[in-house]
Amino acid sequence: MDGHTDTPAYDGHLGETGSIVDLGLPAPGGAFDEHHPPDAALIGDCVHCGFCLPTCPTYVLWGEEMDSPRGRIYLMKEGLEGEPLSDAMVSHWDACLGCMSCVTACPSGVQYDTLIEQTRAQVERRHHRSAADRALRGLIFSIFPHPRRLRLLRGPLRGLQRTGLDRALRRTGLLERLSPQLAAMESLAPRLGRPMPLPEHIRASGERRAVVGMLTGCVQGAFFPGVNAATARVLQAEGCDVFVPPGQGCCGALSVHNGREAEAQRYARRIVDTFEAAGVERLVVNAAGCGSTMKDYARLLADDPAYADRARTLAEKVRDVAEVLDELGPVAVRHPLEVSVAYHDACHLAHAQGVRAQPRRLLAGIPGLELREIAEPELCCGSAGIYNILNPEPARELGDRKAANIVATGAELLVTANPGCLMQVASAIARSGRPMGMAHTVEVLDASIRGVPADSLREGTRPSA
Amino acid sequence: MTSTDRAGIAAVARRAAELLPDADVITDRARLRTYECDGLTHYRVTPALVVVPETATQLAAIVAACAEHGVPFVARGSGTGLSGGALPHADGVLVVTSRMRAIREVRREDQRAVVEPGVINLDVTRAATPLGYYYAPDPSSQQVCSIGGNLAENSGGAHCLKYGFTANHVLAADLVTPDGDLVTLGGAAPDSPGYDLLGAVIGSEGTLGIATSVTLRLTRLPEEVRTVLVGFESTDQAGAATSAIIAAGVLPAAIEMMDALAIEAAEAAVQCNYPAGAGAVLVIELDGAADEVAQEYDEVERLCRDHGAFEQRLATDPADRALIWKGRKSAFAAVGRISPDYIVQDGVIPRTALPEVLHAIAELSSSSGVRVANVFHAGDGNLHPLVLFDDAVEGAGAAAEEVSGAILDLCIQHGGSITGEHGVGVDKSAYMPRMYSEEDLDTMQLVRCAFDPHGISNPGKVFPTPRLCGEVPGRHKGPHPLQEAGLAEVF
Amino acid sequence: MTSTDVADAARRAVAETCEVRDPEPLDGVDGVVPGLVARPTSTQGVAAVLRAAAAHRLTVVPRGRGTKLSWGRPPTSADVLLDLGGLDRLLDHAAGDLIVAVEAGMSLADLQQQVADAGQRLCVDETVPGASVGGTLAANTSGPRRLVAGTVRDLLIGITVVRADGVVAKAGGRVVKNVAGYDLGKLMVGSFGTLAVVTEATFRLHPVPAARRWVTAPVEDARHAQRLAQEVIHSQSVPAAVEIDWPPAAGGVLTVLLEGRAAGVEARAATVRGLLGDFATESDEPPAGWSGYPWGSSGDPAERPTALKLTFVLSGLAAVLTAARELVGDVPITLSGSVGAGVVQAAIPAGTPVEAVASAVARLRETCSRHGGSAVVLDGSAAVKQAVDLWGPLPALDLMRRVKDQFDPDHRLSPGRFVGGI
Repeated sequence: MDGHTDTPAYDGHLGETGSIVDLGLPAPGGAFDEHHPPDAALIGDCVHCGFCLPTCPTYVLWGEEMDSPRGRIYLMKEGLEGEPLSDAMVSHWDACLGCMSCVTACPSGVQYDTLIEQTRAQVERRHHRSAADRALRGLIFSIFPHPRRLRLLRGPLRGLQRTGLDRALRRTGLLERLSPQLAAMESLAPRLGRPMPLPEHIRASGERRAVVGMLTGCVQGAFFPGVNAATARVLQAEGCDVFVPPGQGCCGALSVHNGREAEAQRYARRIVDTFEAAGVERLVVNAAGCGSTMKDYARLLADDPAYADRARTLAEKVRDVAEVLDELGPVAVRHPLEVSVAYHDACHLAHAQGVRAQPRRLLAGIPGLELREIAEPELCCGSAGIYNILNPEPARELGDRKAANIVATGAELLVTANPGCLMQVASAIARSGRPMGMAHTVEVLDASIRGVPADSLREGTRPSA
Repeated sequence: MTSTDRAGIAAVARRAAELLPDADVITDRARLRTYECDGLTHYRVTPALVVVPETATQLAAIVAACAEHGVPFVARGSGTGLSGGALPHADGVLVVTSRMRAIREVRREDQRAVVEPGVINLDVTRAATPLGYYYAPDPSSQQVCSIGGNLAENSGGAHCLKYGFTANHVLAADLVTPDGDLVTLGGAAPDSPGYDLLGAVIGSEGTLGIATSVTLRLTRLPEEVRTVLVGFESTDQAGAATSAIIAAGVLPAAIEMMDALAIEAAEAAVQCNYPAGAGAVLVIELDGAADEVAQEYDEVERLCRDHGAFEQRLATDPADRALIWKGRKSAFAAVGRISPDYIVQDGVIPRTALPEVLHAIAELSSSSGVRVANVFHAGDGNLHPLVLFDDAVEGAGAAAEEVSGAILDLCIQHGGSITGEHGVGVDKSAYMPRMYSEEDLDTMQLVRCAFDPHGISNPGKVFPTPRLCGEVPGRHKGPHPLQEAGLAEVF
Repeated sequence: MTSTDVADAARRAVAETCEVRDPEPLDGVDGVVPGLVARPTSTQGVAAVLRAAAAHRLTVVPRGRGTKLSWGRPPTSADVLLDLGGLDRLLDHAAGDLIVAVEAGMSLADLQQQVADAGQRLCVDETVPGASVGGTLAANTSGPRRLVAGTVRDLLIGITVVRADGVVAKAGGRVVKNVAGYDLGKLMVGSFGTLAVVTEATFRLHPVPAARRWVTAPVEDARHAQRLAQEVIHSQSVPAAVEIDWPPAAGGVLTVLLEGRAAGVEARAATVRGLLGDFATESDEPPAGWSGYPWGSSGDPAERPTALKLTFVLSGLAAVLTAARELVGDVPITLSGSVGAGVVQAAIPAGTPVEAVASAVARLRETCSRHGGSAVVLDGSAAVKQAVDLWGPLPALDLMRRVKDQFDPDHRLSPGRFVGGI
């Protein structure tokens, strides 16, 4: 046997060493330009531990590194280092649901939410999408952020013809992609009734404990007006003066989540203008996706000298309805509701805003109500804004997985705090053939405070599959 | 890459394309690069090809193609290893097992589970818990690390003080050998006849083949678990308390220690609410039959008090316990919050040497100006010093490396090991000759040569010098290119 | 009995390294009389013997205390019987670290005595009286407490071996937790001295429990045994051992060992008694034959009982017990062992016709393999060893041969004793 050489010899295959990313401007020719590229310092926070992997819906589905948050961040780093923007790269960022489950899981505090938004804005500006993809995205954004147009989508799509979008819709396949969701929404309709506009000012019952503004939202307002009404009633019952300024429009969440930065900023300015004028202490939001975006207005409008400070001030007032009610503590009497409830964490509430305990406390405070936990709670239901329209297959798989976990709880009523989740899960549960009632957290509180029997929740929301 | 290498890779890629959907054969550069490092980002190599098979048959066929064309391959599970064990080979194939993630069987009556290698460690426990069982080895990354990776690294965890390592809990594995043959090692029952090849494969860091199915022993969930968080003024006190507990004949499921800097990081990351102002905390977990756990807890509490504990907090419910553990298990990644860069070490010392070695580490730290946070499995003397630095500062990386190496030398001087659970990988292979003699390493290589005579399974890992195997009947095809290039020697 | 001649030059070469003598009758290795007996007293001494043997191409059979030397197949050659009885020192007992390092020739009983003063023990049963540490490693014998602590494989943390070419190599170390390099220790455990000669071993120790209690109950039949065993292992009684005695005639006895703190043991014993039924009894003393194997010691090779090790997954217990009892008409089989771990020993008395033994082995092997395990004939008369395959099917035999070829390319260490003629 021969002896060893004393110094360890390398075969030259061990590659480069050093820290994961160099700070500085994006390398020329790379995926990003200098207008808010994904922040190299934030990318540097990622220590590559992988704790985000099992919480990421697409990694759970496909098991590939570049479809995990860690991989997507790595692609950003590559882009900064000079790797050109390619269809392959973009496809993995597109596949992200933006559920922010990874943000919760990350021990190093990586701000993936900021990174993916920065990246998406660059992609929308710099990446050339296929004609079909562009058409589909254009259409979505010509409908969703517009409460009035959305309302037209309700009913058997009659209104669409009037908007002249009908033919274009069919060509892009949007209709087919929307139809399961629409069917689910329509199945909820009997209880929803006709949208009733809320009065601009609702006075607190009893002693006034707070003055709050209320966002009515687009999807929430169009499809779940009952949720808005319940929100207003519960706030009122708990001693809030509620202002509902007209003409508030969309909060810009869908645009932010899809990289449509300028559009998002326009919406955000309008919201800032509107609610500044209302002079409220708190701005209450009952849709998780809207809340998480509005809490982040300071960053969205940071470059706008006329709005930066005002946006920060307003953002600090934004609260999810569950946060506000939990902070205030109950004064209105809760009547018993004998019902078992599975509470589903909306990603933009649990992960993006860290609101998990408050809705559970509120629900648990209702006499007779039994709260059940859903398995794989960190996993997104696949709704994710308009993700389920852009990526119907993974969204459906995730929806079915979520539905199975929900059904397995055996609960009578599913409660969640986001219209997107409600629609997505409703269609998945309808597919599962195990119908159950569904409601927003405030609807349950409203029923308890008003002393409405639990059956109204159980039956009224049952989708006709 | 030489043209021979390229032709080999192309051949393997063609074979993979016959077997797998397009999405699972990765050749695009941007995608390949996302696989260029595992949990240790310090080393990065872009693989020539990444394949993500879904079945053992596919995996074996790909390895067989590698063998046929002399293409090196590296296995990767969740990519969380901390020694660069899954660092790809530039002219090789990275075989990713993350899509092989079925839990095939969980049998209470046999106390066994059969899983595919990509199954996540914690998912085994999740599957077994409804039956009153769990999978005992619990590396801190258990929520993401894969069983295949655990097997390759012989992973430990906080609870191996009482329950042992992966090697004590794996009964059988189907292994794709570096020839591409699929062979079963061990069996569902213990003590399979013949050599304990499984024992050699566990912890061999992917150099002897790739496991495609693993039979695990499940452990009965204890009747009672008590987790107590104990605050001390110094690591000396905490170390002395640890020794006293063990000396009293108490065998806790875990005794973990964190020093002030590590506490600071964990607190910043997960708000675990550790005792304020502690110079060290111990997380002590006792489990077993309820009566005995209660008695042991009384004894542990008294011993901690006698050794200067200023606060003892018993977890009152599972959520409380989870928060205590969260602080500990997030500690490595949490250090990212207090330092831009860090090196995690994994040295082991005899438990009784703990105070002495901790002092020496503190000395090293203060004389070099390099901060060191300490997180470790105090019960079994497995240290995880986290050497902090900022790579943006010139020379900081080198200074950290030096401190880090000096810590390993300390471990070796005290009769310990350079790695307790993270593995040697690429990171510590240069330290192997400090721990083992030439003869020791040569003897280990005999095993390698039996399994992988051509050295294509995770080459460049574990051992400091690439070596070739001598007489291999009917397999020799002239001098190996490495040998010709003078980079390796035949022995 | 075959005997071996060793050329003078070779004998002198070995004699230069250590004390050498001619073989005596008791030095036979399963009927093979060695050419000479060498008795070195250190690892370096063993290395010197093996270097001399290598230079003269002598075959070498290592021996500890000679308690299991007839196990396996007789060697095809035994020029040198390497007596390791001279390596019997305690190297290090670090009580605070709960480890002990000893030379391989030390008897297991001596080791236990040495560490007992510190209130510690190596959690391995002395299943064969007088066995050495090295022999226990080479044969991987285990007793009742394997349920709680595993076998020597699980307790060994460091090992020193001498290879066939005389090179001394170590693996592992003095710490419990260590994943640096291949775990050669595990490879050596159960290798019957065919890969290298183990000269030193370091083990993890455990504290001696304050109290222990045995709960014993009769079982009516195989299904009853399985049901009770299942109830005990799934209970919260944390048994240190669950053993069965299964005589040829009828019925059987299940024994559960509980170890720990006095009050806890008492409570858990009561729980187990409840599970085992009205006839369960408790004792502070082990039942007769506890931790021993069900066969007697074998003086005359021709009169040797057949000794088997049967393994199976726990749900296969009833099937194995049933198979054994169904064979009783032709072959009176006694079983005993750990039903908590799925490892039992079987004894077939000396004098049983070879064909009957062979068919019993086949039947047991078929049953065990159906339940994920194996049936290995550890020992038997020459006639039995000739008639039966001792190990049964070995899926990884090719790899095993390759390992043997690497460690001992000339096949000079215990040639022919192990699986597949290794």
